Amino acid sequence: MICRITDKPIDIAELMADVRAEEAGGTCTFTGHVRDHSRGQKVTHLEYHAYPEMSEKKMRQVIEEIEERYGVTRIAIAHRIGTLQIGEIAVGIAAASAHRDAAFKACRYAIDRIKQIVPIWKKEFGEDGAEWVEACPVNAQSAQADGPK
Amino acid sequence: MEVRLKCFAWAREVTGAEEVVLDLPEGGTVADLRAVLEARYPVFEGRMESIAVSVNQEFAGEGTAISAGDEVALIPPISGGV
Repeated sequence: MICRITDKPIDIAELMADVRAEEAGGTCTFTGHVRDHSRGQKVTHLEYHAYPEMSEKKMRQVIEEIEERYGVTRIAIAHRIGTLQIGEIAVGIAAASAHRDAAFKACRYAIDRIKQIVPIWKKEFGEDGAEWVEACPVNAQSAQADGPK
Repeated sequence: MEVRLKCFAWAREVTGAEEVVLDLPEGGTVADLRAVLEARYPVFEGRMESIAVSVNQEFAGEGTAISAGDEVALIPPISGGV
């Protein structure tokens, strides 16, 4: 199982290979790429920062929640940190299961939940300067490992 | 007791430090930590509602007690993914 914060480019094929298994008929992947605009402004590049130890712990929690909800155990997640240029992969997810439905759901849940509970921050650089994107204040209770699901 | 508070993203920029050391009463809670922080850095006034606190790498409620040596961090609103 891959679950990592990395300052190296993300290779989605590596994540797919990590979840591959004879019994898995469906593999679903998601890659999130740096886009060239945000909130009506041109973006030149991004910087991602993380609380690395806690991020990996919370990504493992996401994987455990997916196993509980959808019975999918073959999941790989990588999130990039550092300076990223337009088009680069910021986050990569692969999920494999016997049938496609659970693989799609696992992938969708993973990216949504990462955005809620994994302590990673993005700074957008545009023509008018740079700004921290404050997308999601964390709700402590619902973000805890043993919190309400 | 001395508490070392990790700062990330916006919180790191406004404190100018990766880690700030705060003096908290023995048995102090997350709520106490916020009060001490605000007194020292008024820039946090009015911002606290959106900032979470983690203790030993788990998000903590306001009543969570902090012990000397705990790993404590300020978690401003996050923006991982894309």
